[in-house]
Amino acid sequence: MLPADCSRRLVAELRDALDACAERQRQLERSLRVSRRLLRTWEPAETSAPQPTPAPETSGEAPSPESTPSPQDLKELELLTQALEKAVRVRKGMSKTGERHKALSLKSGSAAASATTASAPSRASGQASCRVSETKPPRGIQQTVVPARGLPECRLLSVGDRTRMERGSRATKPGPGPRDQQIPPSAALQAPEAFTLKEKGILLRLPMAYRKAASRNSRLWAQLSSTQTSDSMDAAATAKTQFLQKMQMTSSGPGSGLSAAAVEAEVGLLRTACSLLRRRMEEMLSADPADCMQEYRCLLTLEGLQAITEQCLHRLQELRAAVVGQQLGPWPVGRCPGASLPCGGGTDPIWSPQLLLYSSTQELQTLEALRLRVAMLDQQIHLEKVLMAELLPLVGTQGPHWLALCRAVHSLLCEGGERFLTVLRDEPAD
Amino acid sequence: MPAHWTEETALKGRGHRSLGRRWRRVSTRSVIGRGPSRAGTGAVIGRWDPAAAARNPRKVSASCMGRRRRRVDRGAAVGALPEAIAALSRTLPAGPSPEIFRRAKFDRPEAAPALWQLLFRVLSPLSANGASAPPAQGEPPSTEAQVRVVKSELRSQGYPRRALAQLPEDGSQGSRELLLALAWLLARGPLLERLLAQTRVRLGDEIPLCECEALARPGPPVPRVEADGPVDIRHLQWLMGKLRFQWRKLITSQQEQCALLGKIHSYTRGCHSDRSLGHLSVAETELLRDAESGQQLLRRLESENVRLEAALHWRRQELVFWRWMDTVLGTCPPEASQPTFVPRIPERGAGEWELVARELQTLQEELRGAAEPRRAAWEARVGGWGPEWSAVQRASREAVGLELAALQRAWERGGAAAQPHGPCRLVKSDAGASGGPGLRAAQVIEVLRSREACLEAVLCQLQRQCRQELARLAGALPGLIWILPPGR
Repeated sequence: MLPADCSRRLVAELRDALDACAERQRQLERSLRVSRRLLRTWEPAETSAPQPTPAPETSGEAPSPESTPSPQDLKELELLTQALEKAVRVRKGMSKTGERHKALSLKSGSAAASATTASAPSRASGQASCRVSETKPPRGIQQTVVPARGLPECRLLSVGDRTRMERGSRATKPGPGPRDQQIPPSAALQAPEAFTLKEKGILLRLPMAYRKAASRNSRLWAQLSSTQTSDSMDAAATAKTQFLQKMQMTSSGPGSGLSAAAVEAEVGLLRTACSLLRRRMEEMLSADPADCMQEYRCLLTLEGLQAITEQCLHRLQELRAAVVGQQLGPWPVGRCPGASLPCGGGTDPIWSPQLLLYSSTQELQTLEALRLRVAMLDQQIHLEKVLMAELLPLVGTQGPHWLALCRAVHSLLCEGGERFLTVLRDEPAD
Repeated sequence: MPAHWTEETALKGRGHRSLGRRWRRVSTRSVIGRGPSRAGTGAVIGRWDPAAAARNPRKVSASCMGRRRRRVDRGAAVGALPEAIAALSRTLPAGPSPEIFRRAKFDRPEAAPALWQLLFRVLSPLSANGASAPPAQGEPPSTEAQVRVVKSELRSQGYPRRALAQLPEDGSQGSRELLLALAWLLARGPLLERLLAQTRVRLGDEIPLCECEALARPGPPVPRVEADGPVDIRHLQWLMGKLRFQWRKLITSQQEQCALLGKIHSYTRGCHSDRSLGHLSVAETELLRDAESGQQLLRRLESENVRLEAALHWRRQELVFWRWMDTVLGTCPPEASQPTFVPRIPERGAGEWELVARELQTLQEELRGAAEPRRAAWEARVGGWGPEWSAVQRASREAVGLELAALQRAWERGGAAAQPHGPCRLVKSDAGASGGPGLRAAQVIEVLRSREACLEAVLCQLQRQCRQELARLAGALPGLIWILPPGR
């Protein structure tokens, strides 16, 4: 048995590692569910079935509809109002190429119509007139899966025929809400062609509202990241530094300017420093000097590395003194120690992501496998260091069951827990 | 909407009974900054209602308690401060109204709860609020809990004023102090951008190139029963085995996800309006499949756009705010030096420190062990060499010095520029090689491979170290034969 405090620390570390892994797995499972669903046949019955609340909104300003289980009437009323508004807009800005609100989803033609007859007349007239003047694109029917609010236009193409379109134009009402409860089984018979991404994915088009919002979004992000570096920010930057100085002067807090977060960041940097120094040292030690000059340079480098290491150690002692002596406050929560990050922790916020182009699935798989392997190695190295720090001293002191402990420690530390060595007692032959 | 937004200007030492405070005399020069920009008055007085600007200055309404109002500079300064603050509020999550800010300047207690909540949202680890992980708890934490988190987080970031730590935990007071804390956070770094980036709506299939985001956002804390008692080492072995298995499962799942992504990307080729992307992402396809989630995505996108615009507006007008904050700081009484707190050495931080210290010490030992004999050997060889050698020596020293300086810069600056950093949007493109923006997967694979090799070397070296150490310890006991497992 291991001593209590040692056990606690080691179990905590291992459990942290397990939790991190489990978190990744959870996120991956979520993505897998979504992707698998996309590659199956798309069934509107499935989409309109009452779904559990997906990942919640980040901003409090947009309440999700699932959280308000409004009664049927309220919903219909709301939909009616929106439909009327939309009808006005459509009539104003009618154009051939514009996307308009289409009828129902693939399968629930008349069913939904019956559910929402209240709005049908007004919409139908608007739709019918639009429909008449519209020239059909050669590809055929445009049917949409129309949601509750905002009505993004989306054209899914199925094996088109006029009849379905006619039916669609009469029964105008959007609304997955009412659809939820009211899709009769017979609706499934109306559209024998199911939509699969494989066959018809290439025909999808994104709705205009989304496109506009997305392009506006990327434009705004670009603007925001560029204003960060413009000259007009100087006045504000000066004002800010002055404010900070004044704050510092009027307060009686720690004068050194060190905070627990800053100390932690520096310790992280020193950790990176250590690994970089070690790598350089190994390069030097493994290289065979060809002549005097190289030998001399190797020597100088090693001595230089030694000096830098001493500086780092010294800095670490200073930080330690600061933590203890100046009461810098609690350690910042929620940081995972461990990996030495090549990017230095990245305090800069990340603007819009850049593109990563891959050419085949194998390439993507290789990329991901490598990425995970690097993360796994990082974690393993961290655990190795922690285990070494805790377990080697125990082996040094001989206690009961020392052999078993030694064997277990060897397997954990030297073989990653995968293999075990064998110990034989060397009895003198009698 | 606040009726009037007034500021004190030249405070003539008029005691303010109703607020129970004595205002310090503040010289006008420090308060009114004659800046070059259009917000020239520094919004010493900004009127919320432009129509009222034409009115003569008069005794203010009851809420402002007889303070004399300065005539405002006509023009853009009118309402500049409330506008700026309103923009700031729109950008922040749970941003309070400009009226709250105004009240906070006077340290009104009714402004405190909103500001506590704001700071809590801003400071709490994003796992509770971020888009990727659901909140751990069903309802928001209590006021006391929020207050505690805010205090502890501000302290750990080095907030200089002690008055904050002394505020009562029921969240009923201290609005001015909270206002100062918010301004402090804003002044130190790109707080707004960071908040926006953390809750960014992800439209594409993203892959993080480096783990810094994953590490900074650890996910909801799992309630865990601590193993208090001593455990057997077999428990540790079991945990390690479990970890290995989890990784293998993870890698397999990830491979499947990649295959699915590849399919989705190729099936939706040519569907995207943006030519450089070419195909839809999972989020976009989901938007088309399921209207509900599409609506949600659209709403989130639009609300993010609102916040982004507010942030840009704020950027243009923030000078006004900072000048006002100077006045707020001016109204605070200076802090007397306080008795120091009881020191607390956080256990987790100490562990980290120990590890790094040990590593550095080991490294130092090794370097000394390598350098000293070489130096001795060198001196022995070179002892009697002539002066022409010294010039060469000097050149070598300089060269080595430069190399080592470059090495030091690599970690001091964080080296962020060198490595690809941050999430990337995956795009499948057959056209491959040259031209066009974006990273190529082949390059990234190369980088990752070299990093993998590095890490494997480090791990091997550590294991070798352990083996040697154990051999040394085991050698102390004679009469045993250690048969190592067959090598890899």
